[in-house]
Amino acid sequence: MGGQSETQLVEKLAKCDPDAIAVAYDLYGRIAFSLFVRITRDQSAAEDLVQELFLRLWNRRREFDASRGAVGPWLLSIARNMAIDYVRSAQTRFQSKLKPIDQTNTHRFSYKPKEPEHVMDAAKAIQDALAELKPNQRKVLELAYFEGYSQSEIATRLEEPLGTVKSWMRSALERVRISVKGGAKP
Amino acid sequence: MTHPEMNELYELYVLGALEPELASEIESHLVDQCEYCGERLQEAAIVTAAMSGMAEQLEPPKHLRERVLASMRPRKQAKSWMYAVGGLAAACVLLLAYALWSMNTSRSLREQIAALTQERNQLRSAVEVLSRPDTRMVQFGNQNAARGRVFVSQNGGVVFAGSQLPQIASDRTFQLWLIPTSGAPRSAGIFRANADGGFVNVVPGPLDLTGIHAVAVSVEPSQGSPAPTTTPILVVSIG
Repeated sequence: MGGQSETQLVEKLAKCDPDAIAVAYDLYGRIAFSLFVRITRDQSAAEDLVQELFLRLWNRRREFDASRGAVGPWLLSIARNMAIDYVRSAQTRFQSKLKPIDQTNTHRFSYKPKEPEHVMDAAKAIQDALAELKPNQRKVLELAYFEGYSQSEIATRLEEPLGTVKSWMRSALERVRISVKGGAKP
Repeated sequence: MTHPEMNELYELYVLGALEPELASEIESHLVDQCEYCGERLQEAAIVTAAMSGMAEQLEPPKHLRERVLASMRPRKQAKSWMYAVGGLAAACVLLLAYALWSMNTSRSLREQIAALTQERNQLRSAVEVLSRPDTRMVQFGNQNAARGRVFVSQNGGVVFAGSQLPQIASDRTFQLWLIPTSGAPRSAGIFRANADGGFVNVVPGPLDLTGIHAVAVSVEPSQGSPAPTTTPILVVSIG
């Protein structure tokens, strides 16, 4: 992480400091690359998407509030959308349902100081929780996050009742939520 | 829908996994600037972003960092530099083109001026020959062969004009000769005929026409010859 905090990153972005992207890359480059590879399953495409991701960040640098911190969740939300958009056609069902997050107010994705230093900590914290998820819980979570499926689409894909899928999803999200917020054992 | 009922939906909403009717419920709260929903969505955004941790963590290629940073560097300067070089190159090309054009144009103009000057001088000489009282005129040829007139003045010179000279190779020229009654022919200049075989050759005076009894035309190399190298195609007696 290069010893740079999310707060420093936001401050550098707000000042249009050219060093901000280096800081951002050191914080989020690895996880963004991993996410792109996971969704696209194409390393070359992932590299292109990483470059585009940080370009988008730089282009919207003035929208981040240094007093609140907002980069990590926003950046990874954008990354996920970009990767799924890459895999799917722009005219697919996903486009009509997925919230265009990159056009949403960045403040929605800010978090308060009492919460983890940055989203990377949360991403690490989630590893333990995921390890303890049941396979079906993890499966529905992955289909929603990596593939962009709705619950009903997951039900169809898995050939399971919608109610069952919602139950798996609810319990999976609860475990993840707990691990991210408090680090409490699920 | 009440807020407690919505608590389990915020992450699904951020993921885009909610059914449209449920998503609309949340959006209606957002439209009303619901503070509770706003805060829950902030938290949901962190939870969903943390899900990126589900992906196997891979090490990006080492070149990727530099590639990303290079793409962020101000392009204005590079563009300015490139534009400057491009502009300079374009200017050089234009300048070179202009120089070449100027040279060609200049050369062309010089050639035209030289040609016009030569024509003017020929015309003056021709007028002088034709206007002198001692000028004699000899008509030659017939309808099916080269024909024309020769104007001869001892002091003014010779005007040799006519038509229907044959076409010759481009590397050859016509050469006019003054033929004395004895001795070698004397060159009276080279000339070319136009496409129709028309021609005018002016030999400025004064000339020593003593003993000259004829003029002749031969086909010679383009620079002319000190003495005829071919049999004359035309001989006109002026004696």
